[in-house]
Amino acid sequence: MAYPYTSDHEVRVLSEHFGDPSARTLEGARRNGRYETLKKAFEMGPDAVIDVVKDSGLRGRGGAGFPTGLKWSFMPKDDGKPHYLLCNADESEPGTFKDRELIRWDPHQLIEGCLIGAYAIRAQHVYIYCRGEFFEASAVLGRAVEEAYEAGLIGKDIMGSGVDIDVTVHIGAGAYICGEETGLMNSLEGRRGQPRVKPPFPAAVGAFGQPTTINNVETLSAVPHIVKNGADWYRQWGTEKSPGTKLFCVSGHVNRPGNYELPLGFPLRTLIDEVCGGIRDGNALKAVIPGGSSVPIMNAEEVARCDLDYEGVVACGSMLGCASVIVMDETTDIVKQVRRMAYFYAHESCGQCTPCREGTTWVTRILQRIEDGRGTEEDLDTLVEVTDQMTGTTICVLSDSVAAPVQSSITKFRDEYLALIRRGERVGAA
Amino acid sequence: MSDLRVRNPGWAGNTGEFDLTEEQVRGDDFVGTRPVEGGHPAATPSYAYMRAERDPEAPLFEGPYAERFEKLLTRYPEKRAALLPTLALAQEVRGHVSPETMARVAELLDLPDAYVRGVTSFYTMYNKREVGRFLIQVCTNISCNLCGADDVLEAFLSTTDTELGEISKDGDFTVVEAECLAACGFPTCVQINSRYYENVTPADVPNILDRLKERGE
Repeated sequence: MAYPYTSDHEVRVLSEHFGDPSARTLEGARRNGRYETLKKAFEMGPDAVIDVVKDSGLRGRGGAGFPTGLKWSFMPKDDGKPHYLLCNADESEPGTFKDRELIRWDPHQLIEGCLIGAYAIRAQHVYIYCRGEFFEASAVLGRAVEEAYEAGLIGKDIMGSGVDIDVTVHIGAGAYICGEETGLMNSLEGRRGQPRVKPPFPAAVGAFGQPTTINNVETLSAVPHIVKNGADWYRQWGTEKSPGTKLFCVSGHVNRPGNYELPLGFPLRTLIDEVCGGIRDGNALKAVIPGGSSVPIMNAEEVARCDLDYEGVVACGSMLGCASVIVMDETTDIVKQVRRMAYFYAHESCGQCTPCREGTTWVTRILQRIEDGRGTEEDLDTLVEVTDQMTGTTICVLSDSVAAPVQSSITKFRDEYLALIRRGERVGAA
Repeated sequence: MSDLRVRNPGWAGNTGEFDLTEEQVRGDDFVGTRPVEGGHPAATPSYAYMRAERDPEAPLFEGPYAERFEKLLTRYPEKRAALLPTLALAQEVRGHVSPETMARVAELLDLPDAYVRGVTSFYTMYNKREVGRFLIQVCTNISCNLCGADDVLEAFLSTTDTELGEISKDGDFTVVEAECLAACGFPTCVQINSRYYENVTPADVPNILDRLKERGE
């Protein structure tokens, strides 16, 4: 048994070398076939690389699920400007812990993906934006970048191809909002990480005012495998609209939490019961958040019929996001957990847009009041009304993200709120 | 590393079926001696580190740190873009980013003082005040919270005899609440200076604190 738990259901493409320290070194990475695909990509040419990624149907793994090949094709050609590829390693969505593992166990897989991506969009410089807390992961990545430079795999005239690409590891300083692509660009430029108004879109005016593409760590890590094996190979897993494998980060009340690489479309209930060994202490399931704290909460009935692909989760009233499955058993105090999530958004709001800056704080206060046993039934209506006004009214979706757990929990777990408000009964209270 | 009394420091998993050392888990380069001057310029920002030993009065920058600062500047098309890594470097040397430090960084990067203050105050990782030698950040966000993070936070506070954000009497510890540290599958996650401790339970807390005092890191 390898890293830390595995399952027979898994298809380990990206996570094949998790838990193997030798895969981190250039020597080990070469043994695992890293950088062979880069050479192939140079022979194919940038447009052919974009085409194969398009055909594979790879969708952005950072949460939005936008088709990667299409995003790359938006980049202008022969415009004489510098282009940038930004790799988003500012992983900070509560429930998500895949990028850190991808970076620290297989950094060369990511670097190769970055180089192929940069070549496809004709970028000369890649910035890998690691969140500031990732001291260990960014040190591993930095060492891997150094090794690749020394071996002539990054820099001028890579492997004699005439292609020049630089890679720089950049660090953030603790701001969730820098994971939003335009916030990330501002932060990279040495500003406060406040998101920008779109348009202009990054492909036209991005980092340093130049055409820019931003991709998630997992997206770029998948690219070498797709370019190497072809689009059809990748499409053998997943569904028509959501092909391929995906790392599912399972946390919360399961017996074996961890990262599991599974084909998209995998049944959620099987993930919990078989892959993760069921719910702790044999408890009953109460709720699941399938895509990180920014998506609506699902109740047990929805979980039972949910398949984990982008469309399947939407059909069950939530979103796949970055596939961060947070499992809550019957002992969970929903009011407390929703309040904790709301507090997170209040803490992380960049303060630019009034509905978000004010809304996140007031929502947190109202939830705290309810949790403290001083709430009223009207508070629930107020919460719904306030979060309604926080949806679709701001520059980025952080504001919408707080509405999702609040509204869905009030709809699906209203009884629990009412029990607390009317009778002071709390779940899980001794 | 078999002498460790802490369960799986830094290890992302709790099955106990692994035979990896701390170096193998965290990366040799992270655990070993890291060049203060910052290695290859491409990787220089990633050499940030939170040290227990620091000097709030140290000049910005001299010796190997000056070399590292110069390397940072070479990687961006604009000088301003080096601001975040430069602030991290200043904090590595001095332990926190005081208004004087911000003014000095502004001078180094030809930026207005107020601009640097605006940026510094936006990001949580820059300590605007002094902290203990070990900054203990306990994640209490949802995944850790579901698995008892509040108890772990409480254990750190009571064992160090401090309130949130306060420096302990011996100057060693400051305990704060952290937002999600991206280790949700291994709760509770605690970041102490540059290192993650995963699967921390209240029972582990005294061992972790003793180990920090003993090893100085």
